[in-house]
Amino acid sequence: MTTYHYDGSFEGFLCAVTDCLEAGEAQPEFVRNGIDHTVGLFASNIREVVTVRGRAVAFRKRFIEAVSQEAFATARYAFHSQKPGIELLVWRYLTLGLQVGGRLCLMLAEEPVCSVNRIARHVSHEAHKYKGFVRFREVEAGFLYAQIEPEADILPFISPHFVGRVGDRPWMIHDLCRRQAALYDLKSWRLVREVELTAEPTLTATEQDYAALWQRYFQRHAIAERHNPKLQQKHVPLRYRKHLPEFESSGDPL
Amino acid sequence: MSHIYGIINVMITLPLEQRLEILADSAKYDVSCSSSGSNRVGRAGALGSTAASGVCHTWTADGRCISLLKILLTNICIYDCAYCLNRRSNDIPRAAFTPDEIVALTMNFYRRNYIEGLFLSTGVIRSADYTMEQLIAVAKRLREVERFNGYIHLKLVPGADPLLIAQAGRYADRVSINIELPSRQSLALLAPDKPRESVINPMRQVSALLIEAKEARKKSRRAPHFAPAGQSTQLIVGATPESDREIITLTEGLYKKLELKRVYYSAYIPGSSDNRLPALPTPPLLREHRLYQADWLLRFYGFAAHELLDEARPNLDMRFDPKSDWALRHLELFPVDVNRVDYEVLLRVPGIGVRSAQRIVQARRGTRLGEVELKKLGVVLKRAKYFLTAGGRYLGGIRLDGPRLMERLLAPTRRPARLDQLELFAAMPDTSALTGEL
Repeated sequence: MTTYHYDGSFEGFLCAVTDCLEAGEAQPEFVRNGIDHTVGLFASNIREVVTVRGRAVAFRKRFIEAVSQEAFATARYAFHSQKPGIELLVWRYLTLGLQVGGRLCLMLAEEPVCSVNRIARHVSHEAHKYKGFVRFREVEAGFLYAQIEPEADILPFISPHFVGRVGDRPWMIHDLCRRQAALYDLKSWRLVREVELTAEPTLTATEQDYAALWQRYFQRHAIAERHNPKLQQKHVPLRYRKHLPEFESSGDPL
Repeated sequence: MSHIYGIINVMITLPLEQRLEILADSAKYDVSCSSSGSNRVGRAGALGSTAASGVCHTWTADGRCISLLKILLTNICIYDCAYCLNRRSNDIPRAAFTPDEIVALTMNFYRRNYIEGLFLSTGVIRSADYTMEQLIAVAKRLREVERFNGYIHLKLVPGADPLLIAQAGRYADRVSINIELPSRQSLALLAPDKPRESVINPMRQVSALLIEAKEARKKSRRAPHFAPAGQSTQLIVGATPESDREIITLTEGLYKKLELKRVYYSAYIPGSSDNRLPALPTPPLLREHRLYQADWLLRFYGFAAHELLDEARPNLDMRFDPKSDWALRHLELFPVDVNRVDYEVLLRVPGIGVRSAQRIVQARRGTRLGEVELKKLGVVLKRAKYFLTAGGRYLGGIRLDGPRLMERLLAPTRRPARLDQLELFAAMPDTSALTGEL
């Protein structure tokens, strides 16, 4: 049994999958960079996977030709859940796809397809929620800055949305859980890893004014006769509220 | 009318944050919240795009979503519609925004990703045409001066000139005009300034313009857009004596004949001692919820209004969702074989939604489905099992007759009365999969 040690990116994973297929591996283990692993102790050998974009693209082409674009997208979403063991599950999904071809999408009541579908839906749902929940603040340094703490690694899914949307300012969406950020420089966006804040960014003078207007609007918009905080919590679970200015308390103790 | 202008001048001297509160208060009873139906990519160097599925940005303490900055230009109104908070005779604080202020709020809220766009409405000042012109001016500034490319929903003013309505649709993604009261008699009684024609005629005009623009764009992609996200309307429920049957039949006509994207229902919230209005202890939220469920059955499940309600049963059953209610009255059609029956039949099984039905149809091409497979697909069998067989086996256990089945369905599904249309989305993880749903 071989353990494939890759850089944690989806491209890196596809390169690992390509390596496995070339080696005729039946039971691979995958370990991503930065994760302590004990399984490695029992592995007969560890292989360092080199991430080469061209190889990942070639695998993508091969899989889409054999199965479908949609199935590839599903695998990509599921992979970004970063759940423990997701690599093995997606590996099984991808190799099954190469075996059965287009029939893969009819196997949605069978494993591993149903699990991969379920996880992919979950990630896509979270990405959709964050299209609404990202909150930019204008910082003195002259760009828009947002912090998020998502369960899944959703930056690759939401960044293109914000490129199309906020195209007139540079911006940065900072995933605090993964210490990485999407950076937009008015031309394109890229993912930067190992992002650490040395200090809280200084906000512009008007930033607090707009946040306060938004808070007032938000509070007044609720209809008292329909008060239903349970329904509210179902849609905005508490874990999202930390970075939403409308849920910030105004600072006055009750 | 010059005194109204005077009032507006006074009203814009209040601090901005106070006016925002007053005008948000006055706008919040318009329930339309969607930002869907328009799919426009962003422009380089500019602000804004639209997503076909729409995006909700937050939810207020009543559980309703905020997607658009829903605001009035002013809540001063020359009309005196009894059900409306902003009626002339109501003693509430009045305020107005300048177009510049709305533009600045929209741009700054949008850039921070608080909102998907602007939903601009207003009280009627001076005349219908004058008021409509004010709304259009704001939209025009956003589009042409600020190059704002996000979602704009404009309210049409009853009785506004057809030329102005055509103009509104060039800047807006969606336009709407609220019928509010389901029958002519109720409208005459409670909104004497607003003849039904002044509402229905603009809707007809919009419908014709939508079709025309679609045809023109088939021929040339350069043909101008007209409200690409279509039109919607709102009906107040519980302020007047109309039955659910009248409401749902009206809705069906609006979807079929005027191609509305959405009809919204707003549970009447008592806010007036006017003796033409009923004194309700609480807003009829459960009834509103059932109407939304019936509305969904019309749009996505192939039901006709007359199947749900008829002369003998003019109102929806508050105990069941309307599909369960229908199925219980048609037990002769069930159970059906989950591996065989058409998609349209699956859609009629209580508890099976559009996504479940789609998954079943796809999965059964690959394998025979039993209870285990259905669960793996994520199909919720709590209600559906009483109406299904799989591989020759009835999934509901012991066969039940009508009354006992009804008991069974009632027991586990008793839900709190505080419901809202947004509940409907709970079972649907990714709203973007079904375009035009919102």
